[in-house]
Amino acid sequence: MSKKDVLEELLGDYLNDVLKCVRCGFCNSVCPTSNASFSYKDSKTSRGRIVLLQAKYNGVLQIPIESDEFQELIDICFGCRRCLEVCPASVRIPQVIWRAKSAGPMRLNKLLLANYGEFEKLGATFSPLSNLLVKSGFGRSILEAVAGIDQRAPFPTFHGSSLERYIRKRQGGAGSRGRLAYFIDVFTNYHEVDLGKKTVQLLEEMGYSVEAPRQKEAGTLALECGALDNAIKIARFNVDSFYESVRRGARIITTSPAAYVAMKIDYPELLGDEKSRIVADNTLDVIELLLNEYDGGVVGFVDQDDGEAVYHHSCFTKASHLTGHVKRLLDLAGYRLVEFEECCGVAGVWGLSKKHYEEAKEIGSKLFAKIVQAGLPVFSQSETCRLQLRHHTGTEVKHPLEGVLDRIRVRRT
Amino acid sequence: MSSYFRRVEDKDFDFLEKLCGSGNVSTAEEDLVTNAIDAQLGGFHKPEVVVWPENSEQVAEILSYADRNRIPVYPRGGGTGLTGTVPVYRGIVINLKRMNRIIEVDEDDMQVRVQPGMVYDNLNKELERYGLFFPPDPSSGASCTVGGMVASNASGLKAVKYGTTREYVLGFEAAFPKDGLLRLGTKTFKYSLGFDMVKMMVGSQGTLGVFTEISLRLRPLPESMATAASFFKSIVDANKTIYSIVRRGLDVAALEFIDRPTMDAISEFRNIKFPDAEAMLLIETHGSAKAAAEELERCISVVRENGGFEIWHATSKEERERLWAARKGAYPAVLKLGRYTLISDVIIPLSHLVESVNKAYEIGKKYGVRTSCMGHFGDGNLHVNWGTDGSVEDLHRANDELNRWVISIGGAVSGEHGIGTEKKRYMKLQHGVSFKMMLKIKKLLDPNFILVPGIIFELEDLLGTSG
Repeated sequence: MSKKDVLEELLGDYLNDVLKCVRCGFCNSVCPTSNASFSYKDSKTSRGRIVLLQAKYNGVLQIPIESDEFQELIDICFGCRRCLEVCPASVRIPQVIWRAKSAGPMRLNKLLLANYGEFEKLGATFSPLSNLLVKSGFGRSILEAVAGIDQRAPFPTFHGSSLERYIRKRQGGAGSRGRLAYFIDVFTNYHEVDLGKKTVQLLEEMGYSVEAPRQKEAGTLALECGALDNAIKIARFNVDSFYESVRRGARIITTSPAAYVAMKIDYPELLGDEKSRIVADNTLDVIELLLNEYDGGVVGFVDQDDGEAVYHHSCFTKASHLTGHVKRLLDLAGYRLVEFEECCGVAGVWGLSKKHYEEAKEIGSKLFAKIVQAGLPVFSQSETCRLQLRHHTGTEVKHPLEGVLDRIRVRRT
Repeated sequence: MSSYFRRVEDKDFDFLEKLCGSGNVSTAEEDLVTNAIDAQLGGFHKPEVVVWPENSEQVAEILSYADRNRIPVYPRGGGTGLTGTVPVYRGIVINLKRMNRIIEVDEDDMQVRVQPGMVYDNLNKELERYGLFFPPDPSSGASCTVGGMVASNASGLKAVKYGTTREYVLGFEAAFPKDGLLRLGTKTFKYSLGFDMVKMMVGSQGTLGVFTEISLRLRPLPESMATAASFFKSIVDANKTIYSIVRRGLDVAALEFIDRPTMDAISEFRNIKFPDAEAMLLIETHGSAKAAAEELERCISVVRENGGFEIWHATSKEERERLWAARKGAYPAVLKLGRYTLISDVIIPLSHLVESVNKAYEIGKKYGVRTSCMGHFGDGNLHVNWGTDGSVEDLHRANDELNRWVISIGGAVSGEHGIGTEKKRYMKLQHGVSFKMMLKIKKLLDPNFILVPGIIFELEDLLGTSG
């Protein structure tokens, strides 16, 4: 096969995205890694990565895509998707990069990331033993050696029981206001179970029946590491399972922006079928749901002015286009928001890895300084952003729902 | 490639590495290809080595060394140029990305001294706290560098009021092949001092020297801005409006023309629904809140006189930004016209504006290429976007005909993008006898022609220069 054919087979329709890039560089202006000091070389920037693929297509770059050398270059993209907001040619840069990464060798740490849901499940099953292990020096050195997670990086505590199990135990008949199928994702399922429980309790109080269909992780990490086959399998499983819920009249809810983006954007793109589109159309974030119910007079907010709070725009909240909703909810709950839009550098597990720990710290450094200087409570919707911000600022950082749920009063069901 | 230049050898690499540090010099393929192309529709021209200097002295040393050894040198800023400012004779790319700091903000004298690799938007973000800004506002502001702007005399949406980059360059430090580092210019906004070497260097696209520091005059941020969009059933009416606004001396900060195909592309990209119209004008005025609003109203009166049938007033900062985002989103018009696209940058005498848009459509039809037009019509700058799924040559033929027509009516082939490799074929036609003077000046400052050979001038023209 010619070089063009190889690239076409690897990228499929996304080859056109590569070719229609006009190299304006707008993506570089918002790309967190392209503005770090280590990215002074164009080859380490967002535009540079697309230019490398254009050069491959034109036969002027000899480095094989599957080589470590090429993979090292594109590994710098951590899939924040900020570029999608500014690209005038609508080049689907992250999606192109996942496919380019898929040509790379499947190493142990990549295999672990591609199947992280299974390992999270194991961790939860064996807690508190697993918690002791991941907090110990020995455990961390193993985690670093096997999964590449830096020993200094924060690691969340496994909850004793999963949210999925909690919901299934409560699962009853249809609520007066309808059924909701909760697409949880691993962080809430195994680490922030209490937030999930409080959310479920409120939704039930509002008259909903909440169920937890069989599900896997959102699959974001599988995409980021280029394990496309795994990502497609995960998408297939989740879409099939949630499609059944939709067919039986349920709407799908999320509290994690990664889960939301997976259902709304990634799965239809990966699977390209009617089922995934139906599932996407029936998915909404709990924040959207709460605002709808507020507008419909179902819920109200306790009249309270809690002063200023920082709202951090996580990359995935931006990608999900939920930012306006999150801000409105916090505003209704009585917070006056100071907004910080910078990326914290973590991007899933990219910034927790030994390879990128220092780079992520540099990317987030301006944001960390602003948060410390503000001295205010902080809200961020993304799970690992919260981990990263807590770790580097020593400030408590909460999911917006954590600051809101106690202030909501159900008016009618 | 020409045998006139010497190829880069190991000893040259060693010299650069010793001068700039091992992390700042590369012959790695990935670094060569990413410095081999800009935003123009063109091929890759790989340099032999890329160097990222960190200070002015290093730039001067590189130039002096390259001159002694007759190795071509190509400075590079944001790499966002639209004219193919690429290393056609290979050699050394001096990538200025590491020289990206503000050196000094002189708030009292309303000026800033900045390194060439600073990104335009980043500079203005920093200047906001002083209530000052550097106005030229090119559409590529998010990624182009100040050095690149000065080298190409860039401008953009606000040039009708604030002028081009040239009006803001008070002086600079630059490296020259024979003369090392020189500092030129004054700190004053006007002077009468004989030859204006500063202004001559602006727009020279690296042919005379490499900027290492640039002093820019700044403007106070306007107290208030008023913005409106208006729509027309005919392109002629829209252009008559533009002419009347300029002719009556109304103080507009921006006066943008957008045609229907461009509006359609914006609709798709920004999800904005436009009325059924053939043309749209975006008008902005700056000043005190009262003055900006009043001046905008005077413009709107002209719009109405000329058949503008719907006016959208931006009543908040968000609405204003949305309108400008729509205009800046006009770039996709270029991209959706076909698999291959080419953007022209002609500048037209005001009396020919109406005619020029129709002329562009006519030429597009003749060569079977799709055509859309937009531009900063307040100053006559028209961007015709050509697109095709067929032959790239058709785009070049159409563009060539437009360029020659524009020169014939007293216009110019570039308003703000520069010459690069793309338009150098028009240099003799455009400049007439003064072209020879340019060659002589070039030879005086760069006698071995190591600076950006193949850009603006053909090497053969330079080698044939006497005196």
